[in-house]
Amino acid sequence: MSKSAVKISLDLLSNPLCEQDQDFLNMVTALDTAMKRMDAFNQEKVNQIQKTVIEPLKKFGSVFPSLNMAVKRREQALQDYRRLQAKVEKYEEKEKTGPVLAKLHQAREELRPVRDDFEAKNKQLLDEMPRFYNSRLDYFQPSFESLIRAQVVYYSEMHKIFGDLTQQLDQPGPPDEQRERENEAKLSELRALSIVADD
Amino acid sequence: MKEQDTSAGCLTCTYFHLTEKMTPQAGCSAAETLTQEEEHQMQRMMAKRSKIIRELIQTEKDYLNDLELCIREVVQPLRNKQIDRLDVDSLFSNIESVHQISAKLLSLLEEATTDVEPAMQVIGEVFLQIKGPLEDIYKIYCYHHDEAHSILESYEKEEELKQHLSLCIQSLKGKPNLLDMGSLMIKPIQRVMKYPLLLCELCGSTPPSHPDRGALEEAFAAVKGINVNINEFKRRKDLVPRVEPAAKDCGKGRHRQVKDNTFNREEKLFRSLEKTVRHCVKNISFCLQNIQDAMPLALQSVMELQEISCSKDEEERGSLGAPGNAPNPCDDFVAHLQKLVLTPLSALLSLFPGPQKLIQKRYDKLLDYNSYLQQEAGDESNLAKKEYEALNAQLVEELQVFNQAARKILSNCLCSFITLLRDLMLVAQQLYSTVQPGPLLVSNISEIQNQVLEEFQNLNFVKDNSATFIERKLSFEKKKYVQILPEVPRQTDTHRAKLLSTYSTEELYQAKRKCNATQENDINLLEGELVAVMEQKDPLGSTSRWLVDTGIMKGYVYSSFLKPYNPAKVQKVDAENRLCDDDFDNISLFVSSRPSSDSVTGTPEGSISDSSSSLSGTFGKFEANGTDVDSFQEVDEQKCSSTLAKGIAGCHLALSMVVVDPDKTDGWIFYAVHAFQARSDHELSLQEYQRVHILRFCDLSGNKEWWLAEAQGQKGYVPANYLGKMTYA
Repeated sequence: MSKSAVKISLDLLSNPLCEQDQDFLNMVTALDTAMKRMDAFNQEKVNQIQKTVIEPLKKFGSVFPSLNMAVKRREQALQDYRRLQAKVEKYEEKEKTGPVLAKLHQAREELRPVRDDFEAKNKQLLDEMPRFYNSRLDYFQPSFESLIRAQVVYYSEMHKIFGDLTQQLDQPGPPDEQRERENEAKLSELRALSIVADD
Repeated sequence: MKEQDTSAGCLTCTYFHLTEKMTPQAGCSAAETLTQEEEHQMQRMMAKRSKIIRELIQTEKDYLNDLELCIREVVQPLRNKQIDRLDVDSLFSNIESVHQISAKLLSLLEEATTDVEPAMQVIGEVFLQIKGPLEDIYKIYCYHHDEAHSILESYEKEEELKQHLSLCIQSLKGKPNLLDMGSLMIKPIQRVMKYPLLLCELCGSTPPSHPDRGALEEAFAAVKGINVNINEFKRRKDLVPRVEPAAKDCGKGRHRQVKDNTFNREEKLFRSLEKTVRHCVKNISFCLQNIQDAMPLALQSVMELQEISCSKDEEERGSLGAPGNAPNPCDDFVAHLQKLVLTPLSALLSLFPGPQKLIQKRYDKLLDYNSYLQQEAGDESNLAKKEYEALNAQLVEELQVFNQAARKILSNCLCSFITLLRDLMLVAQQLYSTVQPGPLLVSNISEIQNQVLEEFQNLNFVKDNSATFIERKLSFEKKKYVQILPEVPRQTDTHRAKLLSTYSTEELYQAKRKCNATQENDINLLEGELVAVMEQKDPLGSTSRWLVDTGIMKGYVYSSFLKPYNPAKVQKVDAENRLCDDDFDNISLFVSSRPSSDSVTGTPEGSISDSSSSLSGTFGKFEANGTDVDSFQEVDEQKCSSTLAKGIAGCHLALSMVVVDPDKTDGWIFYAVHAFQARSDHELSLQEYQRVHILRFCDLSGNKEWWLAEAQGQKGYVPANYLGKMTYA
């Protein structure tokens, strides 16, 4: 938006009208300065936001792959656990003969480390994921604050600039309705001109 | 030329060469001559082309010099002299502009030709670039020239003025073609008419393959067009013959050729106003468009930020009245802008064409009038005069009003625009302020965030799973036990070697799995670690705990965690259980005499198997899963401690020796893991996976490497390591 605003003033400035009309030239120069400052501020704001919001966002996002990987591993551990669990149960259901019992024990032996592993992973995730999620608050709050602040600063600056400009150009500063009426009056005056009415 | 000749010669040589290769002998000569001619043609054209270009540049230079001279010696002195009735501008109008454009053209031409290969020089582009200003400037000059000429003639009639003029001429130091004013003044006309001729020639001598060709054709057309326009312009003028001296006398004063300065001024203002208004409308609309695009997004972000801060603080924010009117600021702005700025400007813009037409009409009337001027005052002439004058007066008067009004509207609109922008900014600022009124230290942001990021690094799942860690973990695969029990010093090769050398294989056991120390004097073992059993009982007399030496330390472990060490084969942990139920039938095997069929679980280093290869026994590869065997030990335990003792005793098995009760060989079915080709009568050929019945686990000389096997009624010796324990699938 600032680019198009700058263009307005540039075009105006380059207009031959400026040569003829000193007042106009002044007005347009002032407008041009204001627009250029607007552009500069805008750029600054963009940079600021980039630094304090966009990049932190990216960094935060880079943690997620690890999390996904951990979840996946837990999932795998769970699968193993289930599989072995099923095996144990299968043996438990069989009649308790020697070999079966032997197998049963063996299965249980196998099961134990896998279960422990799974539980460990599970616990770890249960413990750490909430911590991760909760830390987002602390993490993002500064970013948001910065974003808001940048915007506020920008807009207040703009407001000031344009306020100054209106002061400079238009001391009396007629209110809108009056301007409108004035415009209308002028337009009707123009329409009344014979040269306009022709053709 | 010489160069060109030789190059031409070279070129033709190349052609000759090529054509010789490409075409058959018969048609060769014909092809030759053709290309040679073409080549010559090309050369000629290029030569002519460079000549024309040189001429173009040279003449432009000369022309420019003449112009300079003229300005310096004639125009400026005359102007400075401020002679009363000598209007220099009417003589020379915009000769300075002509000079400027000519200088530009010259520099462009030089740029296009110096240090540029003749084959690459593009002159057409130069003219195309410059054609716009060229036309405008020369048009003006030519327009005024005829008038100027007649003015000159009138001056010449006056003695005083004539003297002034000749004075200037003399200062030109009598250059051959600058003999008088007339010839000076006509120079630009002549020049602009020369351009088409030059370009035409140049175009004609540019070969079609040259990059300049197209541009030249275009440029030629353009320059011709310029001349046409100029002529057109002049033609209108030609309706007006030279002004009679009488015209001057009849008191029209300075309005010689009916020039109305006031009108011109107003017209100029009118034109620039029109342009301004046009641009304003366009640009402001564009700006509005952008704002319209941007504002909703800004509003949305504000609302979302509010939501976030709401849910975070879990307070009711009273200022959420904002969403209600949030969409409005933008619409407001848009509406106001339309009303105050765009509509008036567009309306104004639409008013311009009317006067424009009238202005055009006036011009025509002017021409008419002027054409009548030379004739006797007659009715027609009067009529034309009246018409013209009426129109002129009307325009002059009303244009002034128009311009003023337009100017006011324009400035009003601009001011409104600025005010609106200001208000919009205020609104936006306020919006954003409602979200988070707290002050902020910007510098802390990165600190805080880095802190949080560091905390993340501490989280386990980040440590375990982040990309860098994953890589490292893979390389740690072999040493993963270290990560599990970092506090336990790992048993290294040296330790194992030491154990192996210090103790006999009977005493060597391996940890089936990780053993954690539970009682005092217990030690931790990692899966697969080698230990040497020093005593098969603990201080309390229980035989379930053994004193073992890990090479690093000595301590107690439960015997159930240990299995006899089989260095024969390093096996991967096989999830498949190859020893199935049927093997249990021969449990006697395992009680009394154990084939040390343990597979080595875990990951012993290769060095172990290397060092123990010498120990590799007469036993072939057993596919048995160590865990199965382990469970047999479990079975043992379950029986009773007495049998346990026996079983353990039975565990003392030299790996390279099999204490096998020959009486119990009935069950010894093995299969050939590999095919084996018998090399003598004593040996037995085996096919892969062939089942054999082992009669003896050593040969006649007691060599444990060869077993006596029987298959399909045949007996013979087979190498032990080709055999695997039979599993009944």
